[in-house]
Amino acid sequence: MPQKWNSLDTDVLVIGGGVAGCMAAIPALEAGLSVVVCEKGKVLDHCGSVGCGVDHYLTIMESGPEWDTPEFLIKHLPKLTDGIVDMAVASRVIHEMPKVVRKIESFGVNFKDPRFNDYYRLRSFGLPGTYHINFDGTEFKKHIGQRVRKLKGSVLTRTMAVQILVEDGRVYGAIVFNFRTGEWTVVRAKAVVLAAGEVNRISLNASGMAFDSWHCPYNTGDSQAMAYNAGALLTNMEFVETTITPKGFSAQGLNALVSEGAHFINKSGERFMFKYDEKGENARRAVIADAVINEYLLDNGPIYADCRHLPEDILDHMEATLQIDRYTMPAFYEQKALNFREEPIEVSISELSIRRSGVYFRGSGLAVDTDGQTSISGLFAAGDCASVSGGIAGAAVLGHVAGEGVASFVPKTNGSLPQIDMETADAIREKAMKHMEVEKERGLSWKAYEAEIRQTVNDYIGVRRNEAGLRHALQTLHALAKRETDLKADDLHGLMRIHESSSIRLNAELMATAALARDESRTGSSHYRMDHPDTDETNWKKFVIVQKGSEGAETTTLSASEPLAAAFARKN
Amino acid sequence: MSSDMKAEEQTVHNPIQIDPETCVKCNLCDWICPGDLIYKKEDNRETLPVIAYPDECWYCGLCQSICPVDAITVIFPDQMINCQTDVKTLLGKVID
Repeated sequence: MPQKWNSLDTDVLVIGGGVAGCMAAIPALEAGLSVVVCEKGKVLDHCGSVGCGVDHYLTIMESGPEWDTPEFLIKHLPKLTDGIVDMAVASRVIHEMPKVVRKIESFGVNFKDPRFNDYYRLRSFGLPGTYHINFDGTEFKKHIGQRVRKLKGSVLTRTMAVQILVEDGRVYGAIVFNFRTGEWTVVRAKAVVLAAGEVNRISLNASGMAFDSWHCPYNTGDSQAMAYNAGALLTNMEFVETTITPKGFSAQGLNALVSEGAHFINKSGERFMFKYDEKGENARRAVIADAVINEYLLDNGPIYADCRHLPEDILDHMEATLQIDRYTMPAFYEQKALNFREEPIEVSISELSIRRSGVYFRGSGLAVDTDGQTSISGLFAAGDCASVSGGIAGAAVLGHVAGEGVASFVPKTNGSLPQIDMETADAIREKAMKHMEVEKERGLSWKAYEAEIRQTVNDYIGVRRNEAGLRHALQTLHALAKRETDLKADDLHGLMRIHESSSIRLNAELMATAALARDESRTGSSHYRMDHPDTDETNWKKFVIVQKGSEGAETTTLSASEPLAAAFARKN
Repeated sequence: MSSDMKAEEQTVHNPIQIDPETCVKCNLCDWICPGDLIYKKEDNRETLPVIAYPDECWYCGLCQSICPVDAITVIFPDQMINCQTDVKTLLGKVID
């Protein structure tokens, strides 16, 4: 192992090269700042949650009708989020949507449907208008990644950030390592943007395969974990998210199904969604998931997605675009010998994630202000690790907001950065590298370790919770924390995975802690406390905020009528 | 700590099947894999790519989509294609 350090000085370090990270890098680069993007994948054009494509994009376009204005959507935010939303940040994101979609178009993304040479906009997920552009986004990420490269952003590929560096409440860089070469780098930066996505691999799914996940299984809550350890505030961590997937394959695609008109039916052939929501299959994702969960609990399973009633031209379009959200979906149906035009598709809930609980604009993760800045000075966050999340559009827009925030923040810093304390850096690296030296007898594999986390989350922190279960889960997760030093890495790739496992465990602990604090139920199975089954509008129109305390994770609350930034103590 | 924490590594399904006759050993699949699963010696037109961590595959198909000679097929394992899991087991346990 090389013992020397690489060092890099930059204006901005972006951790995570997905849509949010790239869109944050772009305004910073345009402002003339130097930007380094740290990414676990190899190539910006195809990394992150939509590196292999996306088929829908939620946006306001100001095309004329009242519903297509920021004001109209903002008016519906409380209903869309069951009252738990940072109105200030979500409103900023919604106001910026038209500008950002046009900017992405200028990168070469074609949002128009070639059938009509116009935008094909559909309604889904409880939104009060046809806000989703349904489009062929196979090359969406490629155009955004190319833009970053064109503007001369630097990229550290196959590189994982291990720790962000904070002194006197101000971030000044991070320690990262390349898991192909074993090189360790200290990056000094005037601002850091965290954009490494949501928390996946945190619970079980139908196939039992940890990496068979709806969203990118390499997104493991690293931003949330690093920022929490540095003292940042997180919110909405109690809410879990799940989606509906073909049973056995946790993949994207629900938006296309429901927006094109598929029905959900139970084993008796009953179309049950209207029992749960007046919008039927157009209800919010959280409501659809909750309905499917309830139908299974009522022994009405198996549940199916049914497309058989749809007209031929819609079925043709669905078939032709099936691979856009997940390239391998046609192969899955083919290998399963399932023809969705003629047979209903058996569905399951997916594994859980900590992202935005099936609700647009209520993100679970790092609390940010209207510039995307967290409670730590100079530390920004965007995408599915931040407190306002809205799919790919949310990532793009909040990413862009954070990039503009960085561009305004950096010139105000006086230019001097603290010297890196190399003793601290050595200690961080030494602690990590010890995983390579764990004796075989004592060694614990990260796969087994994670399996224990997933079982615990599945059983006690998932879609049905109570105080006893949550306390039991916390005990198990605390015990696992103590065994973290026993995790044995066989190689550098394994060392990277061990750091992911550590992030997953910590995020599970934060979820259980926040879920214990919120002693009510809200948004169906996103936070269902069996011991407090009712929604308490009198006492719980509040955010639960989680922060590292002297004894571990501590929670406080903040009225949801306040912006989360009201809880920030930072000076600038 | 459960006793199965040390038990693992049964036969691992390989989802990324590469036809050795067709493969032009070009490195693109290694380059594009978001999960760091595929290892291919660079600048070496003799060696085939190795699927080093098959059980960490997302089944995203990027490797198949970028392969210039269609040498890659993504194959789903039985527990995905013929999944028999009772969905109710995913819905939590309730303890007092």
